[in-house]
Amino acid sequence: MNPDKLTLERIAKTFAIEGRHLPVLRPLDLRVPEGEFLTVVGPSGCGKSTLFNIIAGLLPPDPGGVLRIDGRPVDSPLGRVAYMPQRDLLLPWRSVLDNAILGLEVQGVPRDEARRRARETMPQFGLAGFEDFYPFALSGGMRQRVALLRTFLFEADIMLLDEPFGALDALTRSILQEWLAGIAVRYRRTILFITHDVEEAIFLGDRLLVLTARPASLKLELKVPLPRPRRPELVTSEPFVALKRQVLEAIREESLRSFSTQATVEPG
Amino acid sequence: MRRLVDVVAVLLTWEVAVRLLGVSSRVLPPPSAIAVQLMQIPGVVFTAAGYTVTSAVLGYLAAAAVGIALAVMLAHVPLLERSLLPFFVASQAVPVIAFSAIVILWAGNGPLSKIAIAFYLSFFPVTVGTVRGLQASDPMAVALLRTFGARTWTILWKLRFPTALPYLFVALRIGTTTALIGAIVGEWFGDNRGLGTLILHALYTEDTVRLWCGIVACAVVGAAFYAVVAALERRLVWWPAPALDH
Repeated sequence: MNPDKLTLERIAKTFAIEGRHLPVLRPLDLRVPEGEFLTVVGPSGCGKSTLFNIIAGLLPPDPGGVLRIDGRPVDSPLGRVAYMPQRDLLLPWRSVLDNAILGLEVQGVPRDEARRRARETMPQFGLAGFEDFYPFALSGGMRQRVALLRTFLFEADIMLLDEPFGALDALTRSILQEWLAGIAVRYRRTILFITHDVEEAIFLGDRLLVLTARPASLKLELKVPLPRPRRPELVTSEPFVALKRQVLEAIREESLRSFSTQATVEPG
Repeated sequence: MRRLVDVVAVLLTWEVAVRLLGVSSRVLPPPSAIAVQLMQIPGVVFTAAGYTVTSAVLGYLAAAAVGIALAVMLAHVPLLERSLLPFFVASQAVPVIAFSAIVILWAGNGPLSKIAIAFYLSFFPVTVGTVRGLQASDPMAVALLRTFGARTWTILWKLRFPTALPYLFVALRIGTTTALIGAIVGEWFGDNRGLGTLILHALYTEDTVRLWCGIVACAVVGAAFYAVVAALERRLVWWPAPALDH
């Protein structure tokens, strides 16, 4: 077993809205070994994104929680975790190449060096030849790959991907899933991946977490013992379907629960 | 090309209408008369236009620089924004041109007072427009840059400022007009040079043709000023940006 890259100890979050306390995340303990692809599923609005915002350093956890990277507690993970939000957020005035190096630039890597690295990696992201294109000329799938490349090039050992394929059509999505599975094997990054698509979570993950309806806590933890490389036809195989049934059942329970408690305050 | 045809058509209609209807030159001279007059006194008009444009452009440039700097400050200090910005927005409804007389008293009859008035009229819109633009950044994009470890200035330079450019240019285009108005009206309050002065003298001597020469010069200068800024905008904001013109 690899050493833990990321450790969460009693990480919790309660929002105060108009004087009322709204617990979004129950104290959560989690260990993510180096090189693991961990997928997180849960009913919509359950607090998955809150969890990611805390790990990315955008939100402080409630007092008492400890976040460790490589075993050492970190005050603020800002600048240490490669975070990819749901939308690609490409800057329209930057070319594909310059969008890809945004993180490196902020990190202080000289522009020429950053561009050289981006150029080298472009082919693996299916972007060779598109260096000088601008985002508005790209398809949704391609924009998402540029955003992934930007996340990937940023020098951080942990990648947080928040539903990166959520807005894509089913076909593009399945192609990108297979491609990302390949990238993950090839580069062995530690990846946390949020999705509400159960099939995607099983297809990509080494391990899968199901969160409960808000306030989120761990509902189910599941190893995904499927061999890699994973091919699209895997999703119709017997073991895959068995896993899917188990996860769907857990998530359905929680979705129904969150549906019946929708009347509580919505998160901002 | 199409526009040129339009202009020629308007001028022709004007010429023919004035002649056919026998309109007195004191009411509306035919374009040919204005052209002839312009040919006779090109130096006078050029010198006047040069003087007015210099004041307008200097005031405008100062307004752009101060407006942008002030906007960066306002956008980053919420307390300042809350206390100052409403005052700025409200002040746009006040006909600040009424203060021009005071400015002449303070800054004298020379170009300085015109520059000050042109500055004064343009820098409110530039400030307000830039503040709006600086605040128009996608909060998620700001968050993304923060996760990369970016601080305030990096975020300003790499994200907020480029995002603000389309807003800034809407204000800068409005600013060309207000700066020119400031320079011309400033001359009315006290000066013996410039297009404003030329128009005022023509009015006093009831020289309608000369008056129209001044008007034509103002129109040409104003359109050119606007065109230069619009061309700069097309060069700098070439990506598909949200439509901001109302």
